[in-house]
Amino acid sequence: MNLLVARIAAVGLAFAAVPAVAVEVVAGSLTAPASFAGIADATARSAALFNEAAKVMTHPRCVNCHPVGDRPFQGDSAANRPHQPPVVRGPDGFGAATMRCASCHQKANFDPGRMPGHEHWHLAPASMAWQGKTPGQICQQVKDPARNGNRTIAQVVEHMSHDTLVGWAWAPGVGRTPAPGTQAEFAALLDAWVATGAACPAS
Amino acid sequence: MTSFTIKINGKTHGPTEVRDDLSMNDYLREYLGMTGTKFGCGAAQCLACAVIVDDPDGTSRTSPTCVVPAIAFNGQSIRTVEGHAKDGELSELQRAFVTHFSFQCGYCTAGFVNEGQVLLERLAKQPIARGDLDKTIQDSLNGHICRCTGYVKYHEAIRDVVLANDQRYLTKA
Amino acid sequence: MSVTRREFVKLVTSSGIVLSLSRLSDAAEPTFRTRETLPGSAAFNPSAMGKGRVDGMAKVTGAKLYASDFRAADLPGWPAATSHALLLRANDATRRYEGLDLSKLEPGMRPTVVVTEADVKRAGIRVPDFYKGDLFCPVGTTPIYLGQPVALLIFETFDAYDRARVVLRDNPPYKFGATTGPAVLPPYGSNRFTRVAGATAEAPDVFSPLLAGWASPIGYKKAEIPLWAQAKQRGNTNARATFYGEEIRAELAKADPRTLVLDRNFTTQSIDPMFLEPESGIAWYDAGKKALEIVIGVQSPGEAGETLADLFGEARGAFKPAQINAHFAYIGGGFGGRDHTPLPMYVALAAMFYPGHAVRLAHDRYQQFQGGIKRHAFKMRTVMSFDRASGKMRAMAADHQLDGGGLANFSINVADVAAGSATGIYDVPKADITTVAVHSRGVTAGSMRGYGTLQAMTALEVLVDEAATQLKIDPIELRRRNALPTNGRTNFGNTYEGVVRTPEILDKLEAHAIWRDRAAEKGKASSGWAVGTGVACVTKDFGTGADCTLARVEIAPDGTISIDSDVVEMGTAIGTALANRAAYSLGAVSTRVSVARTDAYDALGLVKSYDPYTITQAQQDVAARNPRWVPEISSPSSASVGAHIGTHGANEAARILFRYGLWPAALDLWGLAHSDPRAQQWAKAKWAGGKLTFPALPPLALADVAAKAHARKGVTGVMVHGFNRWAWASATFSIDGDAWTADIDALAVRRGGGEFIRLNRRAVKFPPTVFNRFSTAYTAAAGSLVRVEIERATGNLRIAKAYTVVECGSVLVPEAVEGQMEGAFAMAVGYTLLENLPLYEDGPGNGRWNLGQYVLARASDVPAGTLDTEILPPLRPDDHPKGMAEVVMIPVVPAILAAINDAIGKRFDTLPVTPSMLKGATA
Repeated sequence: MNLLVARIAAVGLAFAAVPAVAVEVVAGSLTAPASFAGIADATARSAALFNEAAKVMTHPRCVNCHPVGDRPFQGDSAANRPHQPPVVRGPDGFGAATMRCASCHQKANFDPGRMPGHEHWHLAPASMAWQGKTPGQICQQVKDPARNGNRTIAQVVEHMSHDTLVGWAWAPGVGRTPAPGTQAEFAALLDAWVATGAACPAS
Repeated sequence: MTSFTIKINGKTHGPTEVRDDLSMNDYLREYLGMTGTKFGCGAAQCLACAVIVDDPDGTSRTSPTCVVPAIAFNGQSIRTVEGHAKDGELSELQRAFVTHFSFQCGYCTAGFVNEGQVLLERLAKQPIARGDLDKTIQDSLNGHICRCTGYVKYHEAIRDVVLANDQRYLTKA
Repeated sequence: MSVTRREFVKLVTSSGIVLSLSRLSDAAEPTFRTRETLPGSAAFNPSAMGKGRVDGMAKVTGAKLYASDFRAADLPGWPAATSHALLLRANDATRRYEGLDLSKLEPGMRPTVVVTEADVKRAGIRVPDFYKGDLFCPVGTTPIYLGQPVALLIFETFDAYDRARVVLRDNPPYKFGATTGPAVLPPYGSNRFTRVAGATAEAPDVFSPLLAGWASPIGYKKAEIPLWAQAKQRGNTNARATFYGEEIRAELAKADPRTLVLDRNFTTQSIDPMFLEPESGIAWYDAGKKALEIVIGVQSPGEAGETLADLFGEARGAFKPAQINAHFAYIGGGFGGRDHTPLPMYVALAAMFYPGHAVRLAHDRYQQFQGGIKRHAFKMRTVMSFDRASGKMRAMAADHQLDGGGLANFSINVADVAAGSATGIYDVPKADITTVAVHSRGVTAGSMRGYGTLQAMTALEVLVDEAATQLKIDPIELRRRNALPTNGRTNFGNTYEGVVRTPEILDKLEAHAIWRDRAAEKGKASSGWAVGTGVACVTKDFGTGADCTLARVEIAPDGTISIDSDVVEMGTAIGTALANRAAYSLGAVSTRVSVARTDAYDALGLVKSYDPYTITQAQQDVAARNPRWVPEISSPSSASVGAHIGTHGANEAARILFRYGLWPAALDLWGLAHSDPRAQQWAKAKWAGGKLTFPALPPLALADVAAKAHARKGVTGVMVHGFNRWAWASATFSIDGDAWTADIDALAVRRGGGEFIRLNRRAVKFPPTVFNRFSTAYTAAAGSLVRVEIERATGNLRIAKAYTVVECGSVLVPEAVEGQMEGAFAMAVGYTLLENLPLYEDGPGNGRWNLGQYVLARASDVPAGTLDTEILPPLRPDDHPKGMAEVVMIPVVPAILAAINDAIGKRFDTLPVTPSMLKGATA
């Protein structure tokens, strides 16, 4: 049983006869760090833990705003589409002067308008583009102070574990698949990854 | 339900209790009967529903109303298409849209009036070079959908308003 | 709500319901009709300065104008509060529908009334033929299409409705049972159009649809493949069509080294018209008065009114209004998609099932995608042969299949019009076109800009471009050699009205810098980019073969002019065009233009019988003896008829108003006896600067002339009806002792401040019924050049430069024509590169589509300065205006495809062409 039905799916499932269309979305789960205990080699275990955590980092909820280029993406599948309307990151990652992220993305999701929101809605810096990257490449990126905003690994993990914009990925509102697992489960994997030496997967 | 007050075109409405899940668009159209602000997509894609928000810091911006709850505008001051003409006199931009035949069916027009006005006010504060003008106009219109016109006559109207007063809107060459 | 007699039309329908498309009385607050009458006498009138449109002021200030702007409180005499309805539509068409589960709706969001198929059956409500099919999917059956309505929910308050709408959108409440697969229903129709020209251009055709009639199949196999009659050279129409058709196909199949034969497939996608105002309406049934009031915005007001009368024509007492008052609003875009749309029926149902309450039914955009009319997806195979030596087209065969979606709507008409365009601008001596419009579980397809010709001519132009390459003939030269000349016969066997101007269009294209510089620009491509230039040229019918014009033009003693017309303002500036066209005769632009008015002409007392398309000549001859009979009373604003048909009535009325109202008044003011020879020289009078001028006589101000016309009880108001079946009906009327012959079939005039009095016609000539075999006689030509730049690594395409040239006769509002060209260009770019709707479960019928997923051209896709436009001047100053709203979109599409091929050497045969397809092709 490795599928977890998200909150909104539960609402949909209350209708026994409802077809599997509309807004029912099913999120994946994350394997707990303990399950990796069987990997004897610490480096290999560390890499495997990162690989598991990368299920989140390569998920559309994350990749869409960690794009290659200046325009975010939208949608729920691997073949996501460029954000409409055509917005760009702008000088501060919060959009161009003519179209700021916050014009539409308010402080919280607004489900009647199917609009996701968060107080700090913005694009990840270009140096942290994850779109199309392998877990190994993302790992190197995350660890590289030149690209991660001059953060220590601990600071990066803290950010990913507790930042509420990151946390939005698990409560993205109606019609969007949440990132797999929970932010706490994600944090646990990252903690275990650091504890095992923060090794990167080969690919 | 949340108590909510807003200033629209200089007139204060409220405090009034509204549903937290009521969109600003429905507040304007269904509660106040102010239907100049249109509903096009309900997804912040066409911006037929855009209004001007005048922030306390003296800057102004457009905001969609269809994907934003009314209560998010609590305490704010906004302008809608109904508020541009004064005593029956069109604003310079409105007049330019009319004389350029900028719109056809006119359903997107409120959004373009607001976006163009915000652009003009921004340029008045932060003039740009002539060479950047077309790109700047295009960028500002790019969030708006017009199915009838191909955007050309909106663009040209805004450009002509700027060029007619280039001292105000453009930096010296 | 009192209605004055003059503002009332007494059109009693066959059901006995009075269809009174009335205007509300004036009140202290603005009425619906005064809001909809523009620009209003006191307001700034930009069109009077020749700068702007009559509706400019209202639209730029956000005035209440569109159907979606009106609530009950805005409508004098209506109940104070507005209730709201929600139309629920099936999101599955493969399983049996077993009802609704509304248990997710909490108290406070529950509907007051739920209307289902059982309810409308019980009420005796019937479905008008055009919309044949259940109004709601009956419980226990499989919906026949995605998006078929299943129930109408009516909520007392807006808040209940709004909350329920979101809950039901996010938790579809439909119960489905056993999987049945999609419903299999017969095709909507099929025709075969076969023509074999005579041996010379002068010789009569051997066989053609005009000579023999339109052929149809004797049946279908696999529910969608037409079975044609057995070939017989001397059989009936069907058998002969098969005979000549097979002969043409045999010739095409024969290997001949002297001919080039191309056999190509082309498929096009389904798209949404995406007019920006979703469909809506508000209605109120006053049970005491048995009057149904309804406000809607459609392209076909007359049809909508008649449909409502038909809907309730046999209903049980409580559900049968004695009177329907329909009020028609400005519309926020149309593009064909609001012509014959089912939504008004559901608006009316909402009111009838909640009597005493004003009920509003408005689509949100998800619902508009799910329920609105779509453009047909086409599958086409085209085989064409060219003489290698001359490049001349020899023969052509084509088979079109259209996916009509769930209801018939206009599918077969779109198929027939597409077939009529299958030979494009060309003179093809032998052509055999078959067409079939099939039912599917997709959303209903119907009218949309281009109406089948966009698809058919795109396929043709792409093929012709390839032929030019293979024949090593310049693509413009190949087109010139094959262009249909003036008086040449179309593939239906008729000729076009007037001069065919495609050679001039081709000359313009050839001379343009984009074409001249194509090799140089290609050479200048920057590294990583491919540059290419493409050309295409088309001609597009306008009109439907049963078009009407209704107009009323009046002048007040102060010289102000008012115009009423049944034409609908969709954004094309038709109101301004009416004013401008009437101004030719009246010297000033109207200060009061009221459009979409099918009432206001009761003095004409028009009656109709028969279907104007199927009436026989004998029937028409007998019916025409009744001086009040016309083949059709009012027709939709579609098929690009606005300029030609829509303004014709106002023009004819204005001419009579001048001739019998203003001119005699002017003679009096000049002191000329009516026996003076100059009295007959009214055609020499000219308006200049608001004054009437005549050689050697003092100029007269319009207001003075108008006052005199009133004072002497001359003609001060004229009301006309016109009918067009590829030619105008004409008749003679006696006015002031003169015989006035004009292209109208009904006339009433008002003298001084009096009532309108109908004048009997004589010598009426209706166009012969055999003209119903034409595909079209009216056509406008346009050509486009496009230069594209394609980034090889990404497949991103940029339109670098484009040019469109059109000929459209006399231009009524030049800026409006330009605006149409610019808008059509953007729509063409979207159609070619961006817009796409999957047909079935993944498509809009699932209720989950909106903009964002559906991508339209934005400002950055069509930057200002990209498109050059040119309008050929009319050949003569009095050339009639031609419809051009559609034609200017069409050549852009094949021109982009030709440009892509020129850039990267790939001919795409399916739309849209996406960056990933381009990237794949450049790899």
